Amino acid sequence: MFRKRIPLLLTFIAGMLPILSFLFRGPALRDEDPTGNGILHVSDTFERWMVILAAAALLLGVVNVFQVNLRKISNRAQGWPYALVFLLALTITGFFGLWDAFSRASNTAWYAHAAYNWIVEAGFKPLQATMFSLLAFYVASAAFRAFRVRNVEAAILLAAALLIMLGVNPYVVRALPFLPDLTQWTLNIPNAAAQRGIIIGAALGAASMALRILIGIERSYLGLQKGE
Amino acid sequence: MTALFQRLMNIDRRWLYLLVGLAAVIPILLPLNLPVNVAQSVQDLYDRVESLPAGSVVLASFDYGPSTGPENDPMADAFLRHCLARDLKVLCIALYPLGGVTEGAEELQRAVGPLDPANGVLESTAFPGKFYGRDFVYLGYKDGGQATMRQMGENVHAVFPREYYQAPVTDYELSNQVRGYGDVSFVMSFATGIIGEWWANLVNAQYGTPVAVGCTAVSAPKYFAYYKAGQMFALLPGLKGAAEYEYLVKQKYGQIAEATAADVYNAGKGWDVQSIVYTIITLFIVIGNVGFLLERRQRRS
Repeated sequence: MFRKRIPLLLTFIAGMLPILSFLFRGPALRDEDPTGNGILHVSDTFERWMVILAAAALLLGVVNVFQVNLRKISNRAQGWPYALVFLLALTITGFFGLWDAFSRASNTAWYAHAAYNWIVEAGFKPLQATMFSLLAFYVASAAFRAFRVRNVEAAILLAAALLIMLGVNPYVVRALPFLPDLTQWTLNIPNAAAQRGIIIGAALGAASMALRILIGIERSYLGLQKGE
Repeated sequence: MTALFQRLMNIDRRWLYLLVGLAAVIPILLPLNLPVNVAQSVQDLYDRVESLPAGSVVLASFDYGPSTGPENDPMADAFLRHCLARDLKVLCIALYPLGGVTEGAEELQRAVGPLDPANGVLESTAFPGKFYGRDFVYLGYKDGGQATMRQMGENVHAVFPREYYQAPVTDYELSNQVRGYGDVSFVMSFATGIIGEWWANLVNAQYGTPVAVGCTAVSAPKYFAYYKAGQMFALLPGLKGAAEYEYLVKQKYGQIAEATAADVYNAGKGWDVQSIVYTIITLFIVIGNVGFLLERRQRRS
């Protein structure tokens, strides 16, 4: 019973407090000292904890990455040397990063800072930039091969894509000066309307999921199966 | 004719890669200085910065990493220079891990010149008379996303007790002065992914703080919904937005551009490249579709 009830109760309290603090935080209360109001004070404390928890979640992620990749290496699964390189890179970067962070407070060990910076500047940044740059080539190739007027929906999508690309092209705009306005209209009206629909739909989905968690219908985050 | 299009449709993708590669490299080596057409969403940011009284504080958040640096770096650079040229004070933070690790401090140093606050080198070389701690300061990265934003609304000093170079935030005039969103004129987020949305639907909606976002081109369509709803008063969409903003700043503060390193103000160069690549992609899409339609007609007949 305690295994289920207490976590559910804690979830309910932790979920309700920010909602209550938001409801009772009228304009008159907004500028007041948060410690002067019980709900605000507890809610703020929870938010501080959440910042710490979010950082701790990173650690969980690192542990998980280690577990998965170590298993891959020990099983000699396909592509295991990449997993080894990955873990080595993670360990070395993490080591210098932590050393740099801990020594920076006392302004010592400049070499830790230099080593970490070198890893980031000479290794990580170029690699990330390269991965992203490759997209230009893939997008060009994929657009050429896959962007076909196969049906009405594809034709509308293609027309919109061409309108946006042509509307920002300096050469085309010089020849057709009305095009940027048409492009902007497409972005501001049909695009914004569709995006709003998506955003509102996603927000409603998130709100209903939050409500399910708050009232204890959704329990999978506790590791419980349906009906448990 | 059909045969020609069919041959083009079956072209080896390596030729396409070569063409895109050349289109990317040549304009970098030989800048074309293509014209830019300033969009209203970009003009809104420029006008807001121009209209603020000297001494106003703006909060700049480096919410991106190296992968989107080519789009976000130039807009951050032009924005920082614009603010300092207008005698505004800039409080910088980062809510994206890689923004804190690589972009924030680096971009600030790129805009104002080399600094070493830990050893007392505080004066900007690009803006003589402007000092770290008084005119601009970098608080660094804090994890937690939305929780951090909410917490900053209550007490910035609790979230960032020390600035990036480890001095207590109360040691510097600017960081000591800013306690909450009420102390800044607006928030400018240079964002990758969803962080720009959080600024709008959390900080703007709950605290009423004006928010502007410089986002990647791929996220721009989504952000236009927030811009049109007034939850963002301005929007810099991708490299195009960066080039337009840079153009506006250069028009009025050209002397700043001359006083800086050659790698600064590169949105224009980037925009040259992107325009040419866009043209190539558009042409190939048109060729592909003409070939596809001809082939379909031939098959039907």
